[in-house]
Amino acid sequence: MGRRRRRRVDPADAARALPEAIAVLTRTLPTGPSPETFRRAKFDRPEAAPALWRLLFCVLSPMPADGASPSLALEAQARSVKAALRFQGYPRRALAQLPDDGSQGGRELLLALAWLLARGPTLEQLLAQSRVRLGDEMPVCECESLASPGPAVPSVEADGCVDIRHLQWLMGKLRFRWRKLMASQQEQCALLGKIHSYTRGCHSDRSLGHLSVTETELLRDPEGGQQLLQRLERENVRLEAALEWRRRELVFWQWMDTVLGACPPEASQPTFLPKIPAQGAAELELVVRELQALQEELQGVAETRWAAWEARVGGHGPEWSASRRALQEAVRQDLVALQWAWERGGGLAQPHGPHRLVRTEAGAPEGRGLQATEVIEVLRSREACLEVVLGQLQGQCRQELARLVGTLPGLIWIPPPGR
Amino acid sequence: MSIVTVQLGQCGNQIGFEVFDALFSDSHCPQKFCSKRENEAYQASCKERFFSEEENGVPVARAVLVDMEPKVINQTLSKAAHSGRWKYGQHSHFCQKQGSGNNWAYGYSVHGPRHEESIMNLIQKEVEKCDSLSGFFIVMSMAGGTGSGLGAFLTQNLQDQYSNSLKMNQIIWPYGTGEVIVQNYNSILTLSHLYRSSDALLVHENDAVHKICAKLMNIKQISFRDINQVLAHQLGSVFQPTYSGEGSFHYRRNPLGDLMEDLVPHPEFKMLGVRNIPQMSENSLAYSTFTWAGLLKHLRQMLISDAKMEEGIDWQVRPPLSGLPTLGKMPLTKEFHFNTSIANLVILRGKDVHSADLGAFKDPALYTSWLEPVTAFNVWKTQRAFSKYEKSAALVSNSQSLVKPLDMIVGKAWNMFASKAYLHQYTKFGIEEEDFLDGFALLEQVIASYRNL
Repeated sequence: MGRRRRRRVDPADAARALPEAIAVLTRTLPTGPSPETFRRAKFDRPEAAPALWRLLFCVLSPMPADGASPSLALEAQARSVKAALRFQGYPRRALAQLPDDGSQGGRELLLALAWLLARGPTLEQLLAQSRVRLGDEMPVCECESLASPGPAVPSVEADGCVDIRHLQWLMGKLRFRWRKLMASQQEQCALLGKIHSYTRGCHSDRSLGHLSVTETELLRDPEGGQQLLQRLERENVRLEAALEWRRRELVFWQWMDTVLGACPPEASQPTFLPKIPAQGAAELELVVRELQALQEELQGVAETRWAAWEARVGGHGPEWSASRRALQEAVRQDLVALQWAWERGGGLAQPHGPHRLVRTEAGAPEGRGLQATEVIEVLRSREACLEVVLGQLQGQCRQELARLVGTLPGLIWIPPPGR
Repeated sequence: MSIVTVQLGQCGNQIGFEVFDALFSDSHCPQKFCSKRENEAYQASCKERFFSEEENGVPVARAVLVDMEPKVINQTLSKAAHSGRWKYGQHSHFCQKQGSGNNWAYGYSVHGPRHEESIMNLIQKEVEKCDSLSGFFIVMSMAGGTGSGLGAFLTQNLQDQYSNSLKMNQIIWPYGTGEVIVQNYNSILTLSHLYRSSDALLVHENDAVHKICAKLMNIKQISFRDINQVLAHQLGSVFQPTYSGEGSFHYRRNPLGDLMEDLVPHPEFKMLGVRNIPQMSENSLAYSTFTWAGLLKHLRQMLISDAKMEEGIDWQVRPPLSGLPTLGKMPLTKEFHFNTSIANLVILRGKDVHSADLGAFKDPALYTSWLEPVTAFNVWKTQRAFSKYEKSAALVSNSQSLVKPLDMIVGKAWNMFASKAYLHQYTKFGIEEEDFLDGFALLEQVIASYRNL
């Protein structure tokens, strides 16, 4: 057997590797621009900027399930991208300084994209978010909704007085929407229950037993079945591209180093300062003074308390340190108990993410996966904790209101009658 | 989504029957201008909301009938059953053998707690029949004796037990020259209690509906049945299905919720009124044609001049020019008074509904300063005509139009209260002077808030 001739890397191959890698990347992403756009962006060409703004917008904002993208203007998308990056802690100030109209900034946007890709499982998250769901799913935790802040809402400058009746109106609308949402969810549950029980025994997978809404629609509407098939095929393409990306991405990162090198050195002061409206300055002064006064007051009170406690407890010495250790141990156990009560299960894995709903008959053998009763228990104990916190916060608000009212002469505060 | 109706007292039960009848008649009215498929979707939506299905196929109204004596309930049940088209549930009613003596306090403090469990059980059974519950209608008179006291008690109970569901009270405002001596006391107590526990109070004024019957419908001998039918027509034209949005052809799932979100989110402003156009006897319908422009012009003027029907509208009343305060525009004759709205909902049904131009309703001068017309004004539409009316429009508004009647009632009640007349009827059953004072305070606050728009 002859020695295998080592293939020398063809320079043409090397040149192709980068655009091919980028092409694979864009196949994975929701609205991938062409490799040419990426190249132009490295040189900060203005025509590359809008496509990259749109790409970042799709990556950063949670995509609606059916793939219909919200038709926001480029300016709104740009502002949303900046807010989302700020929320995630993106450090480069140059991006925040880019104009909102989306006309510039290709290079900075490239860097931001690379930062997102390098930082966490961005691609995997995107794929998980937009995957085709065959079952009826519901989330069992709030992680996803807490993590993504949603599209940035343009802040309304409240110049001058705001009529409080308008605020009350808006609060009332929110409450009604919440109640309507509750009613809709109950309706959805009732109808899902009906579908699941009607289609008992229809599913080829015995452990599931019944059909989901999507699967029922497949049977009823062959045309829709075609569309579902197409969606699955598109998803396949993206998944395969994602796998291939993992094999080719080194070339991309080497290229990104050159992009970073092409940037002008960044000015100092990388931190972002919040925008303070001009009129607020006087009120801020007042708040600062109040805070300082409060801090001094607290310090004084804390010192006297500490001294009194020490006097009561007695001096130092071996029995003192022993009792202190015992105290610390007791506190630690309390904290652990609290945490356990919160998580309800100690070391067991927390249920996360969306789960498919499967309806089983009473008395049937337990299948794999979570039991609804367990999830309900966890949620109920969480609800109880949150209610306690809510009550405490409301009490604090009431006390604060009473205190503020006390400082204003000539004002009578009549709290609403308790029911 | 379904609505469960609670019919209370003689008033509530008679009106409730007419409402279900009007809804059923409209949904089965032969249609010329919409496709069969659309009509079927309309019927299905109406049916799901107000009726449930029984085995033999006759729709059963989603209703609970409550009265302290059996006469009216039995009449209502048999009228529905004899029609053969729809009926009430066999066990969906509650009545006592004895009468009640027309006493608000007795209804609230005695009947209420005594029969609470039975009545709430009936309501629970109706709720369980629904796939999804949007909310409750509670139909009752404001000034009658037991019906209104019991109604106030029940609404509070519904608030406690179904706190997430929506509650709309359909209140019948008594004639100004009513027969019951203590009707003003009853009104005060009813209104103040309902204001705390209900989400919206849709007021139907007997005087206004009576005039509609006399002038527009040309009825010579106006009976309660005529009045109730006009009322039912108004309610039907509000709550029958409409499209869920501009350009959509799906019917709205939760009109009660949408209406409340659009009109009564503010806790101090819960009083709503309905106006309807055209309103005429069905014989005259065949000889009339209408344009949307004409209908909407009249409807708008009805709103701003606080007229309740399309005849005798005062066209002199104009919205104030921007910059001038509303009251400052009053000419010498003080009768001209501009009716400021907080929010309005216009519902259009019929042919070419998409061509109707509603720009005049979006005039900021119509509304209070703290709401923009884009928030304060909403439109619902459907191409499917209502009953035999080729084009019809309804307006539900949260406006100052109930300030004057309310103020009158409060004034009269206060005069009686100041001389402590008839109070023993109430204190005998646990309604103390303090409860009256609370009621007066709350209603004065409501009047002041509305006046201050």
